[in-house]
Amino acid sequence: MLAIAAAAAVVTTLVAVLIRWLPHSASEEMDRITFTYWFATVICIAIFSLVIGVIVYSVLAFRAQPDDDTDGPPIHGNTTLEIVWTVVPAILVIAIGIVSAIVLSKNADAGSNPLQVKVFAQQFAWRFEYPGKVRSEELVLPLRRHVKFEMTSADVIHSFWIPQMGQKQDVVPGIMTSIVVTPTRTGRFTLICTELCGLGHATMRAPVRVLEQAAFDSWLAKQKAAAGGGAGGGTTTTGGTDTGTTTGASDALGAKTFASSGCGGCHTFAKAGSDGQVGPSLDDLTGAAQKAGESVPDYVRQSIVDPNAVVVAGFQPGVMPQTFGDSLSTDELDALVAYVSGEESQ
Amino acid sequence: MTSTAAASTHHGTEHGAGPRRGYLMRPGWVRAAWCTATFFLIGMFVVVALRGLAGWDPVWDWEIIILVAGMVTAPIGFLLGMGTFDYWLYWVSGRPTLVDDHANHGAYRWTDYFKVNTDHKVIGIQYLVTTFFFFLAGGFLAMLFRAELAQPGMQFFDTQTFNGLVSAHATLMIFVFIIPAFAGLANFAVPLMLGAPDMAFPRLNALSFWMLPVAGALFLTSFLAPGGAFATGWTSYAPLASEQPFGQVFFNMGVQWAGASSIATALNFLVTIITMRAPGMTFWRMPLLVWANFTTSLLVVVATPFIAGSQFFVMFDRVMHTSFFTPDNGGYVLGYQHIFWFYSHPAVYIMVLPGFGIISEIIAVFSRKPIFGYRLMAISLIGILALAFSVWAHHMFVAGMADWLRIPMMITTLLIAVPTGVKVFSWLATLWEGKLHLNTPMLFALGFISTFVIGGLSGIYLAAVPIDIHASDTYFIVAHIHYVLFGGSVFTIFAGIYYWFPKMTGRMYDERLGKLHFWLTFVSFNATFFPMHWVGLDGMPRRVADYAGTYGALNMVISIFSFILGASVVVFVYNMVTSWARGPIAESNPWKAMTIEWQVSSPPPVFNFDEIPQVVGSPYEYGVPGAKHVVLKGGALQETPA
Repeated sequence: MLAIAAAAAVVTTLVAVLIRWLPHSASEEMDRITFTYWFATVICIAIFSLVIGVIVYSVLAFRAQPDDDTDGPPIHGNTTLEIVWTVVPAILVIAIGIVSAIVLSKNADAGSNPLQVKVFAQQFAWRFEYPGKVRSEELVLPLRRHVKFEMTSADVIHSFWIPQMGQKQDVVPGIMTSIVVTPTRTGRFTLICTELCGLGHATMRAPVRVLEQAAFDSWLAKQKAAAGGGAGGGTTTTGGTDTGTTTGASDALGAKTFASSGCGGCHTFAKAGSDGQVGPSLDDLTGAAQKAGESVPDYVRQSIVDPNAVVVAGFQPGVMPQTFGDSLSTDELDALVAYVSGEESQ
Repeated sequence: MTSTAAASTHHGTEHGAGPRRGYLMRPGWVRAAWCTATFFLIGMFVVVALRGLAGWDPVWDWEIIILVAGMVTAPIGFLLGMGTFDYWLYWVSGRPTLVDDHANHGAYRWTDYFKVNTDHKVIGIQYLVTTFFFFLAGGFLAMLFRAELAQPGMQFFDTQTFNGLVSAHATLMIFVFIIPAFAGLANFAVPLMLGAPDMAFPRLNALSFWMLPVAGALFLTSFLAPGGAFATGWTSYAPLASEQPFGQVFFNMGVQWAGASSIATALNFLVTIITMRAPGMTFWRMPLLVWANFTTSLLVVVATPFIAGSQFFVMFDRVMHTSFFTPDNGGYVLGYQHIFWFYSHPAVYIMVLPGFGIISEIIAVFSRKPIFGYRLMAISLIGILALAFSVWAHHMFVAGMADWLRIPMMITTLLIAVPTGVKVFSWLATLWEGKLHLNTPMLFALGFISTFVIGGLSGIYLAAVPIDIHASDTYFIVAHIHYVLFGGSVFTIFAGIYYWFPKMTGRMYDERLGKLHFWLTFVSFNATFFPMHWVGLDGMPRRVADYAGTYGALNMVISIFSFILGASVVVFVYNMVTSWARGPIAESNPWKAMTIEWQVSSPPPVFNFDEIPQVVGSPYEYGVPGAKHVVLKGGALQETPA
């Protein structure tokens, strides 16, 4: 029996070691998660091998001959044994619990001077805001600094996960949730939504880049300059009416908003290079607008703010998020309407 | 033969003393058809009249009409037409009822299985056949989305349809397959094992069963709804669920019917087990299957109302514009998850404790040894029952709930491994030095232990909060739940069906096909679900129609083995159908088991026993010379139904 259990232990250990189960860690938190994982794995291999050893040995050693009608020995129990297999597993799981509790508290520690990044999630896009109201659609993080994310959602529940960094946190409408990540290697990663959030769920991703502190600082400064310089950088709070005067910036903002709001996930739009099939194509809206009895920009604006007002034949109401009217700033909405209507060139 | 049994033999007579009724008025499918239609019209009239009187636009709001008329009144009409309420309505209206009315008791020909029947053995088989229909339907949906997932990118479905397939698969499997399949097995076995003539409330038992097809029909017909089937997963999290297309309501209401069925059955089991044990059947002499269903039923009656409430509230948020779980107007989004998991974690034990009971029976019988540590086995069930209500928030470690809740919920979750471990070790000790007979039920039992241990151990990873934070909402979860619900529950359902098949049908299944079914299932199950641990930990989230190209190869392997797993069910169905039709006649006790159901004929007489059994000892005294569990003085009633 012990030989079989030992063989099972060797096989499972090989399976555990030879396959790279967890992604290559890219954060301090993931390092600790990996440690907890291996702590649990050692215990689990021991228990699994014991169980498989007993089953396989029993099948081999205690199998009845076809003509054997006799019964086994009437063993009803063994108090010592029963106490052992109640107490030993209890001790093992408590040990896992203690390790987990320590790791959890360390992983929640943001230190004294974390970088604060706000995360805004909505169907089906991520947006980030750095100190100084610098907004970005790409998540750029400095190496070896605690980053504390504070997250809210505009519509339904989403979940924030960068697999190599381990930490995961749901983003919930109505409350602020937070999480700490401390990147340990530079490189490009992907942030993915892991909570089913509607039909675009599988495409709700954002690029992540980890830079050295100096490179990060210059990136942040560049973003700040860009936001302060151009009109409608997404940070103005008053309703800007300058879209007509700075067409180029507006066009850029429209394209940016189109991308960051995830429009292309569902809509085909040649100008943006998107080919989504979930919603109607945005390539030629003249006919649809005429049918609705509106000008193209009015029709586009209405369809963004109140998508169920007019539903194109062959598509269902209630599918497109109804929150863009709230989540987009006036500048962004104006720019997006102009961009989609194709009127920015006037 | 007793006089009651004699009264029941002139089947075909209708309720009470009334005259035999005509074709349209007789309980059955014809009356069900026109009653369903009539009640739909009544529901529609109520909606349209109220909307018209209130001046609401539109008066003909088809979503509300379908909800009220299609999902509430029409099913009531169906149940009325089938005849589930007849006796009660006769009694309420003061018309003559026969106290010993057994007109709808027992199956004498195959068509009797398609009628309202009050015999627990018939109802048990009705449950099993119906739930296997939904099992096949749910499995078919899984084949469809595994085809989509075989390669990255989108091939066959759009994402909303994909989400609908995934959601309907899980919902069918959980609510109208696993939970009621166990109710079916227990319905058949528990009264016999207790030495009781039937369940405590046979008519309620029939009603419980007939609510089940309503639930399954709602889940399946949701694919016809505009916008497609409900697509928010079987967890149906708010606020997404209150904003989705109309198919979502089919889930909200289907769960109500399945839940009502489940609660009524559980109450029936509790009363039966507490009050209808044969003389001498003390609690410490009850077979572990009975113990398992006792604890399961306690879980059901306490927990199920919570999911009913959560689904009503989500639906109210949608149709009545309340704000239970929406962030505006003071709603609390996470409240949904707390209420949902307060049911749905105990539901995991609802879906596995009856399986523990089945395995305990089979391991003892096929090892020819007493179950090891009988009392601790029963106590560990109670331990799981108690802990099951204190672990729900381990599904919410990343949900954003109060941080302090994590550690206590982790500790209780880890501790629940202890009673579960006691059960596994006791089964292993029962095998030790036994005389193992590796028939199909035993193979499934041993397969169950090995796969369930993997599911239990992956549960330890998920209990440990830091690992759960990484693994949550990934394919690791998908792997874990299938190791627990397929490698756990479904293996025990197969084991139980093979074990009681000779008792239910009076015929023997084909042992060679049974073994083929086991090995196909065991190998393809592991090959399908084990790699999911890997893709999940590596970064593939669950419930995605499309995924990163790096997971393409493994997903292709998973899909191929999932199709083999699907095909293995064909072997099972073929074996069951042909064996039931023309398998060799089974002895009354082919496994030489000691529990009471094996001491009567196969299939058992309509009223189970012609005398009250006297229980004189433990149910598992294998190897003890001269030991007896039960004394049936006159022997079993020899007559079997024609």
